[in-house]
Amino acid sequence: MAAQIDINELHWLLDIVQNIDVGVVVLDLDYRIEVWNSFMENHSGRILSEVSQQSLFAVFAEIDEAWFRAKAESVVLLGTRAFSIWEQRPYLVHFKSYQPITGVEAFMYQNVTLLPLRDSTGAIAHICVVIYDVTDVAINKRQLELSNDKLQELSRTDRLTGLANRGYWEERLTEEFARHQRYGGRLALMMLDIDHFKRINDTYGHAVGDQAIKALAGVIKTHVRNADIAGRYGGEEFGVVLLDTAVEGARLLAERLREAVEAMRLDVLGTPIAFTISVGITDLSVPLGNHEQMIQQADKALYESKHNGRNRVTSFVHRLD
Amino acid sequence: MIPLVICDDSNMARKQLVRSLPEGWAVSITQATNGEEALTALRQGLGQVMLLDLTMPILDGYGTLAAIRNEGLAVKVIVVSGDVQDQAVARVRELGALDFLRKPADPAELTAVLERHGLYSPSPTALPEPVARPELEVSFRDAFREVVNVSMGRAGALLAKALDVFVQLPIPNVNILEVSELHMTLVDAQREDRLSAVCQGYIGEGIAGEALLIFHDSEFDDMAKLVRWREAGESGDIEMLLDLSSIIIGACLAGIAEQFDIRFSQGHPTILGHHASIDELIVVNKTRWKKTLAVELSYSLEGHNVHFDLLLLFTEDSVKRITRKIGYLMS
Repeated sequence: MAAQIDINELHWLLDIVQNIDVGVVVLDLDYRIEVWNSFMENHSGRILSEVSQQSLFAVFAEIDEAWFRAKAESVVLLGTRAFSIWEQRPYLVHFKSYQPITGVEAFMYQNVTLLPLRDSTGAIAHICVVIYDVTDVAINKRQLELSNDKLQELSRTDRLTGLANRGYWEERLTEEFARHQRYGGRLALMMLDIDHFKRINDTYGHAVGDQAIKALAGVIKTHVRNADIAGRYGGEEFGVVLLDTAVEGARLLAERLREAVEAMRLDVLGTPIAFTISVGITDLSVPLGNHEQMIQQADKALYESKHNGRNRVTSFVHRLD
Repeated sequence: MIPLVICDDSNMARKQLVRSLPEGWAVSITQATNGEEALTALRQGLGQVMLLDLTMPILDGYGTLAAIRNEGLAVKVIVVSGDVQDQAVARVRELGALDFLRKPADPAELTAVLERHGLYSPSPTALPEPVARPELEVSFRDAFREVVNVSMGRAGALLAKALDVFVQLPIPNVNILEVSELHMTLVDAQREDRLSAVCQGYIGEGIAGEALLIFHDSEFDDMAKLVRWREAGESGDIEMLLDLSSIIIGACLAGIAEQFDIRFSQGHPTILGHHASIDELIVVNKTRWKKTLAVELSYSLEGHNVHFDLLLLFTEDSVKRITRKIGYLMS
């Protein structure tokens, strides 16, 4: 086909390559720049004659040489294309974006294709680097991801306390339970609630009730480890999933929580108000069928705490029957 | 008449071979669709010469060669295969094959090989008398599977070269699936494992689709040992997936393109949910396509705990164009 192209056609073909809004660079096998088009000239600020026969890595210090060589070598060895995408590497060469003043991003996101170029004998003697500007796509996707993250965060959080809401908390407990089924280890669960919460609400109003719930959430947050999963299970009831913990460890933590709450005072218009909590704990030292049974056991222990006078911690006891 | 066995699981491949035989070569042809059938024919004395494929169900070409050697069957075997790895060629020679031809076999090459081994010599005087040959019905699925078979062999050979391994090639699965079935197939492929996938779109002369290369996360470390250059951590993992996928997908598409005499444009690859479950991985566009032509391939690397699943999904409207291309191939 090449032989049939007359000189006019060749001229405007070159014109197209020169003016197309895509970066085109041709390298020899020593990574020296043979040719590049106007896109490359305009964005780099360097005309072809300045960079011709120079190493790509000398012209663009930002290119990770080992990485680029590995890609290019496979292109030459195997004769296949190689790709680089902006999600993986935001850019190959650091160019300004097309909205340098009003845009969100200061630089151009790029997708890059490396193509093997064959000479008339069929041997690969050059590599063509094609650079696409994908800044708009990247910005849109980034923003979408950010808002999705925010939405997800919102859908998982209890608004009043900032802890996990019931749905998400149970989901995490289910996951941890499943992990335990597969890999073993230790897992403990603590359920707790505020003693005589109805009395607090009736005496001081719902706002103070909320204040107590928030204060308790604060105590829980400062006492549990980062990996533990604390959530608001219902009105004034909370659950904490304790990873890599057996009932003895859970008991220590529960006692500390109980003492901290007992010592705390709510400030209600200058009047200090005290309240206490009851706690029930269990673990998986005796295997269970599902996570709900675990909640039931901890709830049962919590009920014992209430029954025995509140402001105390009870561990679930497996009866041999 | 020389008794000749042609052994290949694909009707299309056998048909191509029958048509590539030298015109005046007087042979009585027995066809076999797998190694067991071929051995049965050989034991009955139906094969003095055999053209043998490698990738077949029940008993593959390697197993067949080994059995021939063990039983001391006197047959001259020429392997005709899409598996063009250097190691595949070396292995079959070691197992006693006389020669190796890559698929699709070229008539001139086949004739030259037969002559070289003294199995055929053209009559020096008259024009060859045409010999009646069996006609074979080839379905679309069979024909397209053979096209894919040749292409994936090329991809396998490149992969073998890039990673310096021996690639175990599968028998490709070609199906026209309802989109909902596709989803089920994918879920089935997953079982418990976490997956990562690279997706790349392609289009050439109106034949369009997406290639999906699926990796099992549990095999990342084994895979990483094979690649020459790799950054540590998650970013290095993704880079590795991209590089492997551009080799496999690129070579497979190039093989199909060459046989159909077209060129594919390829989009940039996308990573579909790293470490995701298959549901998150694939949101099949149920409203636009009802059916898809799906090709499933599972590559394994010998001696390594590494498998890739490659899915080539063609749009419903590509099927007509592919059918036409296959028509040209067979005429």
